[in-house]
Amino acid sequence: MIKTLFDTGALDSGTGFISALLIGMAFGFVLQRAGFGSSRRLAGVFYFKDMTVIKVMFTAVITAMLGLALCQRFGWIALDSVYLLPTVYGAQLVGGLIFGVGFVMSGWCPGTAAAGLAQGKIDALIFLGGAVLGSILFNELYALVKPLSQLGASGVLFVYDSLGMTQGAFLVGFTVVGILCFALCEYVERRQVGLAPMPNPMLKAVSLCLVVLAVTLLMTASSETPATGVSSLDESRMLQAVDEAQDHMEPEALADRLMAQDRSLLLVDVRPVGEYNQGHIRGAVHIPMADLHATLLPTKNAGTIVLYSNGMTHPAQARDSLARAGFSNVFILTDGLAGFQQRCLKPVSLRREPLSAAQTAAVNQWRVFFGRAQKTKTATPAAIETLTLPSAIIGTSWLADHLETPNLVVIDLRKQSEYSTSHIPGSLALGVENLRTHVLGLGSMLSPVDLLARQVSFMGIDPEDLVVLVPGEAVRDTTLAGLALERIGHTAYAILNGGFAQWVADERPVNADMPDVTLSQYPVRAEADQFTVTAATVLEAVRLSSVVIIDARPAKYYQGIKSDEARAGHIPGAVNRPYTEDVQTIDKVTTLKSVEDLARLYARLIPAKATHVIVYCRTGHQASQTVFVLKYLLAYTHVQWYDGGWSEWASKQALPIKSPAAAKP
Amino acid sequence: MNETENSKERLMNPYAAGVCLGLVLLGSFLVLGAGLGASAGLARVGACLELCVFRSHTLASEYFGKWGQTPMQYYLVYMFVGVFFGALISVLLYSRFHVTLERGRSVSAKHRTILALVGGVIVGFASRLASGCTSGQALTGTAQLMTGSVVFLVCVFAGGYAMAFFVRRQWHD
Repeated sequence: MIKTLFDTGALDSGTGFISALLIGMAFGFVLQRAGFGSSRRLAGVFYFKDMTVIKVMFTAVITAMLGLALCQRFGWIALDSVYLLPTVYGAQLVGGLIFGVGFVMSGWCPGTAAAGLAQGKIDALIFLGGAVLGSILFNELYALVKPLSQLGASGVLFVYDSLGMTQGAFLVGFTVVGILCFALCEYVERRQVGLAPMPNPMLKAVSLCLVVLAVTLLMTASSETPATGVSSLDESRMLQAVDEAQDHMEPEALADRLMAQDRSLLLVDVRPVGEYNQGHIRGAVHIPMADLHATLLPTKNAGTIVLYSNGMTHPAQARDSLARAGFSNVFILTDGLAGFQQRCLKPVSLRREPLSAAQTAAVNQWRVFFGRAQKTKTATPAAIETLTLPSAIIGTSWLADHLETPNLVVIDLRKQSEYSTSHIPGSLALGVENLRTHVLGLGSMLSPVDLLARQVSFMGIDPEDLVVLVPGEAVRDTTLAGLALERIGHTAYAILNGGFAQWVADERPVNADMPDVTLSQYPVRAEADQFTVTAATVLEAVRLSSVVIIDARPAKYYQGIKSDEARAGHIPGAVNRPYTEDVQTIDKVTTLKSVEDLARLYARLIPAKATHVIVYCRTGHQASQTVFVLKYLLAYTHVQWYDGGWSEWASKQALPIKSPAAAKP
Repeated sequence: MNETENSKERLMNPYAAGVCLGLVLLGSFLVLGAGLGASAGLARVGACLELCVFRSHTLASEYFGKWGQTPMQYYLVYMFVGVFFGALISVLLYSRFHVTLERGRSVSAKHRTILALVGGVIVGFASRLASGCTSGQALTGTAQLMTGSVVFLVCVFAGGYAMAFFVRRQWHD
């Protein structure tokens, strides 16, 4: 079985570039030899004067089509190893029509124009300039045409499936129709130009070969053995799996796997993004239907992918389409989101059917773990009116109003001496450095989840509590504490805007009393942390130009002018956005800048809200502030945190770095 | 058009050329794991140009933005460069390099230039909309038996034949 560069992910590497260059050269050579370096000849097909385009193109298509099918049949290549073009009906229909208009106006298409340019055709050069402009125009109008470019997105669809034929029958049919077309072309040319047709023993020879090949493929298809692995067989296997509901995952199984830190599981929400934002199953990522194939390619046949929507129709369609593209690891959630809520999250007290003690315990655990999604999504009858945090940043007036609420915990991140002198009544002291430790030799890493759960228990915090974090001068202390809470699965926290300084400036009450704390038992939920990434993940991201890596350190560290580490510089491809740029201090009160300012600044660095972003600094402290800004103030949906940061990266000599300062003499 | 006559004699038989082209495409499937493509290379050039002039705007744009800061680091850019040089080799071996603006004698150079430019803009735009051109969609996708690519192929000819009448004069001698 051949391993293609697409398989190994090496298309955009040196090997890929050289291979593409050589294949391009062969392509260009043949185009020129076929006479496609002439716009008059290319346009001739539309006036029935010169049918070369149809002859060459259809012979090529049939040759490659039969060749590919043959290679599959011999087991030389699996279709998984080839990037298959997904079908987007609207885009391809409209795109094709206007492409045809442009084609006949100019007499060129991109590939042939490159060949024309090599022959010295000025109109080819003008055409190519126009095509570059047209691409830019598309980018500029993307907001307008995006709906059309995704209209009728159906994933990988085989035309023989769409027509309800077998692959073999389609190949024979297409070959025969193609050859009839050739005969017609010869006839038309003779009539139009008044020339005798080219003496064409070649046509006869080629036609004969292609027909024999196609028929051979058809014959072998009917007598194939299971070992050859043909797509029609995959199809029947898929249908069998569907029949036996092997492609389903039950909500209970999903809930358990999500709670059990199963990192091989990828839960995908395919509903419209608005619905996802209103609430989703915890741990789910959002991928639009149109992007499923491309986005999931890296996880093809690795781990388990579970698709869900409100019902089951859309995920089932998407699953079938992915299965045809060779994905064997895609499941759909039985009964969709509604089923998940009914079967996993419905309170035991509201259920008609009796549950065993074990089932009751499981439901209660699920309700705690998945509670947030339920809260935001549907107000179940059992939902009690409880206090929720209005936003990720709260003002002093909100805190003053709710200070007496029993499940509100206020944590003061200032120095112990400052806290001891004066603090918000009832608030607890926490030094942010206590949340960090050495992990496997790396210093200043956020503590492991069990240590953090223990620490939070010492502060008497329970999973249903709301936590307000109060900064001193360093907002990043509270954002790092926030990440510590998120690591144990506690997302109900907010930061007091302006911190203690603002509280005092607003003349809110303070005291110096030590509050009473009852020890709690915060459960250890190791699976909650989906945002911390390792050096390996970052290295992978460096290779993908689609991931935005943000270096939150001051510019001099980024440039490698200053360094406290083994090496100076930054991770290749990272952009610098110092954390200090996101805060401002006015009258000794330090706050994050306005959301409008931040949104504008980050829009320049990150192309879309769903873009995968990784933030790092030296030890993870400064970067935590950027992560908070991106996730909670600016609603970027895929933000990750490289805790090891530059201190780990610089110390591992094998990792690539970029050092602008060192490059200068 | 002496040149056309000359080169016509030296051209490959179209069916033989088609088989060669099909084998190149098959080779691309087997080695790259992807088909041929030309318009993507042009789009990357577009992204690169826009990046040079309006850097932050381009990075923030939804379509070009996802290609990041180095849009040219893409295999189809190299393939496009290859097409040019491959054709150049063929020109040097079998034909001759001759700077011309190909048009019918009855139209002005300006007329032909405008049609080539406008056609180019339309083709560039349409290729992005359909995620490919005659190489990437029509040739590659049809050989892969992809439904959408067959739709694209049919529509290219439909659009072409519908428009052909209105621009026929440019080839009148």
